[in-house]
Amino acid sequence: MIGLGYLTKEGIKSVWNNRMMSAASIGVLVSCLLITGVAVLLSLNVARIVDTVGKDNQITVFLKENIDDVTAIQKIGPEIRKLDNIASCEFYSKSEAIVKWESELGSLFGELQGEENPLPNAFHVAMVDLSQYDDTVENIKNVEGVDIISDRSDVAKRLTELNILVTKVGAWLVTALGIISLFIISNSVRMTMYSRRFEISIMKSVGATNHFVRTPFVIEGIVLGLISGGIASVIIAFLYEAMVSAVKYIVPIKEIPYSELAFQMSATFIIFGMIIGAIGALISIGRYLNMEGGEILGW
Amino acid sequence: MITFTNVSKVYPNGTKALNDVNINIEKGEFVFIVGASGAGKSTFLKLIMKEEEPSSGFITVNETNITKMKRRKVPYLRRTMGIVFQDFRLIDKMSVFDNVAFAMRVIGAKPKAVKKRVNYILGLVGLKEKAHCRPAELSGGEQQRVSLARALVNNPSIIIADEPTGNIDPEMSFEIIELLNEINKQGTTIIVVTHEHDLVQKFKNRVIEIQGGEVISDSGTVEEKAEVPIEISEKELLEMHSDDENITDYDENEIPSSRKIVTEVFVDGEAGEE
Repeated sequence: MIGLGYLTKEGIKSVWNNRMMSAASIGVLVSCLLITGVAVLLSLNVARIVDTVGKDNQITVFLKENIDDVTAIQKIGPEIRKLDNIASCEFYSKSEAIVKWESELGSLFGELQGEENPLPNAFHVAMVDLSQYDDTVENIKNVEGVDIISDRSDVAKRLTELNILVTKVGAWLVTALGIISLFIISNSVRMTMYSRRFEISIMKSVGATNHFVRTPFVIEGIVLGLISGGIASVIIAFLYEAMVSAVKYIVPIKEIPYSELAFQMSATFIIFGMIIGAIGALISIGRYLNMEGGEILGW
Repeated sequence: MITFTNVSKVYPNGTKALNDVNINIEKGEFVFIVGASGAGKSTFLKLIMKEEEPSSGFITVNETNITKMKRRKVPYLRRTMGIVFQDFRLIDKMSVFDNVAFAMRVIGAKPKAVKKRVNYILGLVGLKEKAHCRPAELSGGEQQRVSLARALVNNPSIIIADEPTGNIDPEMSFEIIELLNEINKQGTTIIVVTHEHDLVQKFKNRVIEIQGGEVISDSGTVEEKAEVPIEISEKELLEMHSDDENITDYDENEIPSSRKIVTEVFVDGEAGEE
């Protein structure tokens, strides 16, 4: 394409020539990207915690008193494992249980060994998806030999709800901040175009095509987005570490290491910034492309 | 070259700018369009440049009916024209060279061709030594010559000058018109809009007078007139611009009277298209 080098140079030069406005746009766009990034990171971490807690969130399936170890392991265990949404199902014998009780509560339980052991055999069951908790519990209850199930549905529900909430809020935040960023970039490019209206009017009078008029401004928008994305990528790395330290101080959590997310976050920021920049510029310039001569100059 | 056939223009606010205008400008003519403010002169130019559409009638430029021309073709029409504005419309942050080069760059000319052609054109208008100056460092007359250089640089077949002497002193006004005359001698069609009747009378070119949106007089084509050498005294210059102040001595050597204005240097066919 003829003149692309010249047009690219003009677009980049324009970022520098209008550096005050460019700095303002970059500042606001970086802020928007950071807020968006924080929302995304929060959502990812909550999802990870929900996942982890979900896996740890074992329910205890107590068997009827007359079920011996062999029946439990050979018959009931496989039946539970065959059900949907079962991540793991481990046998927990009544003798293991009494030993645990004894170690935690003292020798009071020491005499309740063997035939005297009043505890039932049990299974520790973990689910794949906690949102299907109720259905899964119901299915387990229908397995022959199952007596009662320890009910932790509240925890499961709360975690699932929190995850849905964070995802929803994150999506709204990304949408809202995307629109704000678009508006800001569009205004920035509009300011540039206003300050360069003479050039635009001269371009049109000497026969520049719309493509030629448009391209430097689109490149300017893309460059603003690119710079903003780059800066936001660096800041978010430090911000994430700081946030994790602060949260860990209050609640012990196992966060996703930033190194796992760095490439995706940076690429997303940069691509998102560039797309917003290009669209913002296109929105602004459309108006000028339909004007002629003195109209462009506001006469 | 340029034909207006029963052209009328009424603006959306109801202003009747032109009323049933019929004009034929031949290739290579030098035409002054004169008239008072609001007579319809600027509308006449805007219609040629296709900045405005006629309300009725049709216009042809270079044998093409531009009234029906598609919007995307308009830039290519404008590449056949060079525009000179009253207020010069130079870009302050660019040097003289870049202001002129700008017109070539925006139509995609290659850097080598731009450098060669711009230097040639700046030499032509006597500003080669000021190529690196900013417009603000130049006098009004020099700025208008930069504007003229920019209009010439793409080797247009038509030069349209909208009040080119409106913001410059009398001796420079004369020089600018003389320079346009020289360009015209090489075959370029020149259309100059002005309200300076006195200046027009010093040059023996065709004069079309517009008043109230109508052509009220047309002195006819150059073929109908005898070639008369242009002579103008300093006193006459002063009389033409009696309202102007600080008139300096006219240096008749500032622009060579027989400057060779040709298109020989143009671009080696490199003013590209997209």
